[in-house]
Parts: sequence; C-alpha cells; structure tokens
Amino acid sequence: MNVIEIEDVHKAYEDVAVLRGVSLNVTRGTVYGLLGPNGSGKTTLIHVMLGFLRPDRGTLRVLGSNQLQRIDGRVGYVPERLRYHTRYTAREYLHYLGRFSNLSGAALSSRINAELGAVGLAAVADRQLSTFSRGMLQRIGIAQALLSEPELLLIDEPTSGLDPGGQHDVIALLDRVRTRGCTIFIATHFLDEAELLCDRIGVLHAGRIAAETEMHMLRGPGGSVVITVEALPPGMAETLASLSPAVRCTGQEITLAPNTPALQARVLRALLDGGVAILGLVPQHRPIEEFYLRAVRGEKAPDRTSQVVEPSPDAIVPPPPGPSGTGDTLLRELLSREEGRQRSEPESDA
Amino acid sequence: MSALHRTLQFAVFTLIEYLRSGRIMVEALATAAAFYLLFRRWTTPMAPEYFFSTVGLFTLGLTFYTGSAILALGDRPPGYVLLARRLGRGPYLLGLYTAILAVTWGVYGVICLLVAATNPVEGLDLRGWLLGTAPLLLNLALLAALLTLLSPIVLPTPWRLAVLALVALAFSGSLIGGPTMASLPVPVAVGLDVLRTVLSTPLLPAFTGFAISVSRDYSGVSIAIPVAQLFLVIGMLALAVYTFARRELIFSS
Repeated sequence: MNVIEIEDVHKAYEDVAVLRGVSLNVTRGTVYGLLGPNGSGKTTLIHVMLGFLRPDRGTLRVLGSNQLQRIDGRVGYVPERLRYHTRYTAREYLHYLGRFSNLSGAALSSRINAELGAVGLAAVADRQLSTFSRGMLQRIGIAQALLSEPELLLIDEPTSGLDPGGQHDVIALLDRVRTRGCTIFIATHFLDEAELLCDRIGVLHAGRIAAETEMHMLRGPGGSVVITVEALPPGMAETLASLSPAVRCTGQEITLAPNTPALQARVLRALLDGGVAILGLVPQHRPIEEFYLRAVRGEKAPDRTSQVVEPSPDAIVPPPPGPSGTGDTLLRELLSREEGRQRSEPESDA
Repeated sequence: MSALHRTLQFAVFTLIEYLRSGRIMVEALATAAAFYLLFRRWTTPMAPEYFFSTVGLFTLGLTFYTGSAILALGDRPPGYVLLARRLGRGPYLLGLYTAILAVTWGVYGVICLLVAATNPVEGLDLRGWLLGTAPLLLNLALLAALLTLLSPIVLPTPWRLAVLALVALAFSGSLIGGPTMASLPVPVAVGLDVLRTVLSTPLLPAFTGFAISVSRDYSGVSIAIPVAQLFLVIGMLALAVYTFARRELIFSS
C-alpha cells in the first residue's frame, strides 16, 4: 500500500513555477529519499504534503486521505534549518508538543522519557534548547517528530548545517528510527545520507522527478576504482593486467574500470600475495553520484513509464556488497595486517 | 482535547516564550513610567474621568506594541512544527490573540491595583470601576482582534492595505471636512459622506465604548454598546480564523 501518492502536482509562487508535474509513490514501511539541488522545490513538496500549501494542480493523497490538514496527528515532521522554539527546555518543549498531539498525563511523560533516551538527550532534558548545539537541536527535532508515534515521518534536510560529527550522529539516529517500521520521506541534497538510509530515491529537478530508482541498484564499490600502491615489483603490472582487460597499471596507480567486487578481490589478493604495500583505494564514480548528476544535467531522458530510471548504460551496476572473500573483506584484512606491522615496528626498533 | 483547551494551551505556550524572550520588559517599563507620570499621588485627587480616559489611551497604545510583538512570534518558521500536529489553525491564531489579551488586560489590572493601593480614584467604587472597565477591556479586545486580522499570517499584503485604506477613509472626517467638502463637486461630497457613514458604522462601538468607559453612563440604549463591541470582536476574529484556515501558510523567515 502506498502511504504517499502524488500525481502530476504543480505549484507556483506567483509567476515562478516550482513544481511542474511531480508524480511519485511511497510504499508503506520504506524510506524514500527525495534528492535535489537547493531551491529545487523539496521543501515546497513537503509543505504541500503537510497541507501548508495547496497544489495548483494535481492530486495528492497522504495516508489515504486528501484532506491534508486533517492527517496531522499521524505525521511526524522534522523541519529544515533547526527551526524550533528555543526558549524551552527539551522536556518542556516535548511536553507542549505532546499536548498539541492529544497526549497527556503519564502516557505523555513516558513517551517524552522514551524519545529523549532514544535520541541520547536524557541527560540534558532540563537544559534550554537555546544552549543546544545544532546536532542536539536536530536530535530534539527527531524526538518531537516521533513523540506521537507517527505512521509517516517527513524529514527536511536532516543534516544540513551540521558538522561531520553531527551529521554522523543524525544519520546513525535515523538508521535506528527506520527499524521502527514507520514510513520515512527524506528530502536532502546529501548523497551519503540517501545512500545510507533510503530504500528508494527520486531526483527532483526542474520541477519534476527527473529520475527514480531503487537504492540497492546503486549500492556497491562503484563504477571504477583506483588503487594506489607504494611500488609495483617487476612483473606485477603484467600479472595484474592478465587478470582482466579492465585493469590498467600506471606508475603507482592501478585502475579497475569498470570495477566489480570479484575483480577488485582478485587484484587485492594478487597485491597481497606479492607483498605490495597499498596506500589507498578510492572509488572514482559512485553510482549514486553519477545517477544524480545525470538526472540534474538532464543527460538522459527519464523513463516515466517504468517509474524506474536505470543508471547509465556504460556503468556497471554491481550487486549489493558481496559475501566475505570479496574485495571489502580483503581490504579490511590488508589494513589490519598493516596496522599489525606498524605496531610491531617500534618494538623491533626498541 | 477540545479546541478551547488547545487554544488555552497554546496561549500559555506563547506567553511563556514571550516572557522568556524579555519582550515583556517593554510593557513593564512602560507601565512603570505611565504610573509615575500619570497616576501617582498628585496635589489634587484623581477623578474617575481622568483615570479611565488616561488608562484607556495608554493601554490602547500598548496593545499596538504587544499585539505586533506577539503576532510576530506566531509568524516564524517554528510555527510549522506546531501546525504539523493536531493543534489546528484556529486554536493557533486564537491562542496568539488570547496571549495578547492576557498581557494587555494584565497591564490594565496592574495599573488599577497600583492606583488603588497608592492613589485611589476619588468617588470610584467597585460598581463604578466595573462599569468603566468592561467597555475599556472590550476596546482592547477589539483593537487586538483588528491587529490579528491585519497580521501578515492572516491577510496578504494587498488585502491588508485595502482594509487599512477603508479604516483611514472612515476616520477621514477630521481631515476632509467643512470647507474642503464644500469645495468638492456635489456627487463626490455625497459619495464620500455615504462611504464614511457606512465605513465608520462598524467602528462606532469602539468610539462609543471609549466614551462610555469614561462616563460610565449606561442610560438609554447605551447598554447595547458593550454588546456591540463584543459582537464586533467575535465578527473580526471569525473572519480572521476563516481567512487563516484557508490561506497558504508561508511564515516569515
């Protein structure tokens, strides 16, 4: 069943058209990521879904209802740019928001304690929000959205403006939230966020969903990989080149293009067996990045009949990360060996 | 939770934020200054007419500030988080309105208590105070309702300007009168006169309310004045809630 059904929605601010025929569906229990550059209309679409704005044209059903102002209790909303009433303590703020969601008494207190604990703010529950860091404010935003145990969570730019630590905390928190089973709709322009959290993504560009796909189609090591090594012993370049025509050796760099987990595993195994010190392994074009850029550049006409736009035909779309023994595991093995070697060196020096 | 309960809850929520933001210091300082300048013990005893007319004008002026400040609090993006819940747009707007009344009526109450304690009004008993207070408080409610209706979250700018123009036209009698009216072509003068009469009728309860609070004379049909004030307040608020519920919600950034 679809929790969100949007069909040909148009919205303009005076003469400026922001949404020009957006259509998308979000299935119950999934995490949908709406990607798009700043100003592409992501927030506008969320505000339309919340009933704050009316579409000029098109149909929209959220949780089976087109009376959008009446579904408010079943939807949790995390706004962009940490817009909260900061003159309250965290507990007071959640208390009032709980009251506005028809919660009260012991049930409300219990929900507040549970959510403050879940977002890791129980220890600062009685501190005023104005003293919170941006990361903490975003966590209180998620707590308030979850307070009434909503069926649908609408999250607008959850990590925007946060430092890397704050971004990591919020993504980890949202990863835990998705296990609760509620449907989540995230608007973001951070690809990492979408890659880590979403089951399906759509790219909003020029007022339309320019491309849409299942996220598992885009996960994996990437279209190509460059492995940097200290130095290749004589004959190693030929050995590697013999593994596949996709392997090219140039000085200290070994390029796998296109890359696959199996090929990456074989190359790493050969380097490992040859005693070559590996300095780095960098995926060159992440499929999600390529998918996104192609969509916003309009390099490929979106196939709206199938609702799924495949990544570029020349990019290899690998399956999800493979079992142990593939490149990922070997890389970890290499790194742990390297760490062990570094630890043993000072001892031998002594 | 009923709409009334939600309205009161949101009014308390707004008042707490207003107090903690420190904006209330303006009201506190203005009240202290007004008391010192206008109502402290003087050489002659204070007459009821002086008290009601002075406190009436002071609280009306203060309502402009308080109303604008509280409505500005409601016109900020954090409001989206509240309205995404079950609060509802009606209780949201009426909660802001109730918060304005709580502050302005509270200021009036504080002035009355200070005056009663330090410089009692000569010849004013409890009955007389109640008769003067009722239309005065209703006038404050009327002004607060007008400010709510004219706030940016309720009416878009062109509509606000149109309403203000109509109010200005209703008040234009003191500016365009006598010789000016006589110099106008007859159809224009008659048309303007009709417009003024029509437009000023809704404002009549406000003017007469002020007069009755000063005179406390409820003889004849004067008893209808507070009732008219009350209906005007309800009418304005109903219009504001109706408009706000149907407006697209775009808070000021």
